[in-house]
Amino acid sequence: MNPAPRLWNLVAELTYRCPLRCPYCSNPTRLGDFPERLSADDWGRVFRESRSLGAVHVGLTGGEPSARADLPEIVALAHDAGLYTHLVTAAHPLDPEGLRGLAKRGLASVQISLQDAFADASDAIAGTPSFERKLALCRATRELGLPLTLNVVLHRRNLGNTRAIIERARELDADRLELANTQYLGWALTNRDALLPSREALESARRVVERESQRSLRPEILFVLPDYFRKRPKACSAGWGQRHLIVTPNGRALPCHGASELDLPFWNVTEHSVEACWRDAPGMNAFRGEGWMQEPCRSCPERERDFGGCRCQAFALVGDAAATDPACELSPHHDRIVSAREQACEAADAAWIPRGPGLAE
Amino acid sequence: MSQGSGAELSARIREILAERYHDKHPFNLRMQAGELTREELQRWVRNRYYYQTRIPIKDGLILTKAEDPSFRRGWIRRIHDHDGERPDEGGLALWLDLAEAVGLDRDEVASLRQVLPGVRRACDAYVSFVEGHDLLESVASSLTEIAAGPYLGARADAFEKHYAWIAPEGLAYFRSRTQQAPRDAQEGLDYVLAHAQSEEDRQRAAEALEQKCEILWSLLDGVEWGGRRPALSPAARWQEDGMLVLPERAIRLGSSAREILDACDGERTADDVATALRTSHPEEEHIERDVFEFLEQMERLGVVRMLEPEPLG
Repeated sequence: MNPAPRLWNLVAELTYRCPLRCPYCSNPTRLGDFPERLSADDWGRVFRESRSLGAVHVGLTGGEPSARADLPEIVALAHDAGLYTHLVTAAHPLDPEGLRGLAKRGLASVQISLQDAFADASDAIAGTPSFERKLALCRATRELGLPLTLNVVLHRRNLGNTRAIIERARELDADRLELANTQYLGWALTNRDALLPSREALESARRVVERESQRSLRPEILFVLPDYFRKRPKACSAGWGQRHLIVTPNGRALPCHGASELDLPFWNVTEHSVEACWRDAPGMNAFRGEGWMQEPCRSCPERERDFGGCRCQAFALVGDAAATDPACELSPHHDRIVSAREQACEAADAAWIPRGPGLAE
Repeated sequence: MSQGSGAELSARIREILAERYHDKHPFNLRMQAGELTREELQRWVRNRYYYQTRIPIKDGLILTKAEDPSFRRGWIRRIHDHDGERPDEGGLALWLDLAEAVGLDRDEVASLRQVLPGVRRACDAYVSFVEGHDLLESVASSLTEIAAGPYLGARADAFEKHYAWIAPEGLAYFRSRTQQAPRDAQEGLDYVLAHAQSEEDRQRAAEALEQKCEILWSLLDGVEWGGRRPALSPAARWQEDGMLVLPERAIRLGSSAREILDACDGERTADDVATALRTSHPEEEHIERDVFEFLEQMERLGVVRMLEPEPLG
């Protein structure tokens, strides 16, 4: 077998507990299957082993990572391992005082989620009053001199506020704004009829982003058209098992956070070294390279660019993780994307199911 | 063309110039008010020379578009005005006199080595514009000359008043253009008014002039960029293996890139950084250009922040 690719980025999902109830949460829908099994010391070992495999960044995420009381200790271990330590938080329960403690322990950068540009709308989507806390934590981040990324998941109910969201990011002096169009996996797939926007709304948001990006280099704005509205699928996270390693709260080592929905033999860092989980686990190797591809991917000149699209989406919509991502127009199952768009269009006022609470709250 | 639509276009042209001509650019406002430092004035003279060198080239392109011998006889004078009848004559030579008068090395300026990338892009955009558009639009784009005549006179006065350290002989370029610009402007305006036959033509002519105003404006943005002070982003951290890491990216940099970043102390300007690298690498022919392009790329990636120039004490 070929040697494994260099690992670049570790995503440490410390817990799936979260006080927010966003209907597009990317955590698995079966939250109960993921008890927290890793102590701070276990995480320390994962960090050190990942660093020696080449990892440069670690993203501490969840769920809400600050739901863990030992987060300061975990931050220190990540920093001491030589990783650029990035926190992804909903600012709940973490407060500015707590953030100062994390900065002292070596935290390098912070990503804070907003659900919309305004308090009412944002809190309605989050299912809990949280907007003002988020703003306070954004300001504290900049006061500490730490780089700030704002992440706003876009969907039908907030897409029209794109300009206001950009203005909010400027007011908060964010370095980067991720306007992340909802990926329809996990909870978002369950709530797709209530979230999927119209093509017109997307197009006008895209134009706003283009204009605003030309006006100033700050913040750097990331806006990617969702794959439901493109001719080609989005690339599978830089290639399956090529750059990123995700470790779930119970220790499973995955190539992306959606992969827990796939019935594949991934390994667990409590039973194997990180190196073995990355290099040898059959699940990790299932879609490395191109040998697994079916037509039309196998002979497609674009396969090196998008790697056949998202394996998790192929599984969710076609039932076969090795199939061409149905978001691709060339997929024989592309009609499932077309009909989802039409169905969502008719279900204009559909309600959503908020995500579940996770464990031990 | 009816009298009415000619007058209308003429008014539109004046309106565009009143709104968008670069006399209202912050850099030019400061120049006129006597607020530029010696270093800033030098930066402008050095960079603006690149624009001067593009003028005869774009006028050559305009000549290739003209069928009418009398138009060409008139227009070719502009090339002679800039290049002179003999070496050391004409507008380009006068500009190099100005360069010497502000304390720059004539040959260094003529080498164009230190031209800033935003300035280069703006000037090249002007040549490409003329290349890609017809005679009417090309001539219309030259109508900034209408505003240039009076403005250059005011500039020469401001120089005498505020920048007395510049020898008066250095200002010959402005004085000579004060004479030439109104003649060139009238010639261009007559052509545009006579040949913009349809509403669509008049629209194209107006848009060409707007684009030219934008080009002159962004040229000055490019000059200002050279006075900003690059500083490594506080978000960037070096790892022990020489990798530079930011929240969303990790960059492996060679030793020359590292040398440039080490010079970015938030005090030195982009121009200073290029000069420092020139001093330590006299053998590298394009070092300034390499430094500027690298800094622009690092700015886009968020590795480097370009701090505003230090306010005058």
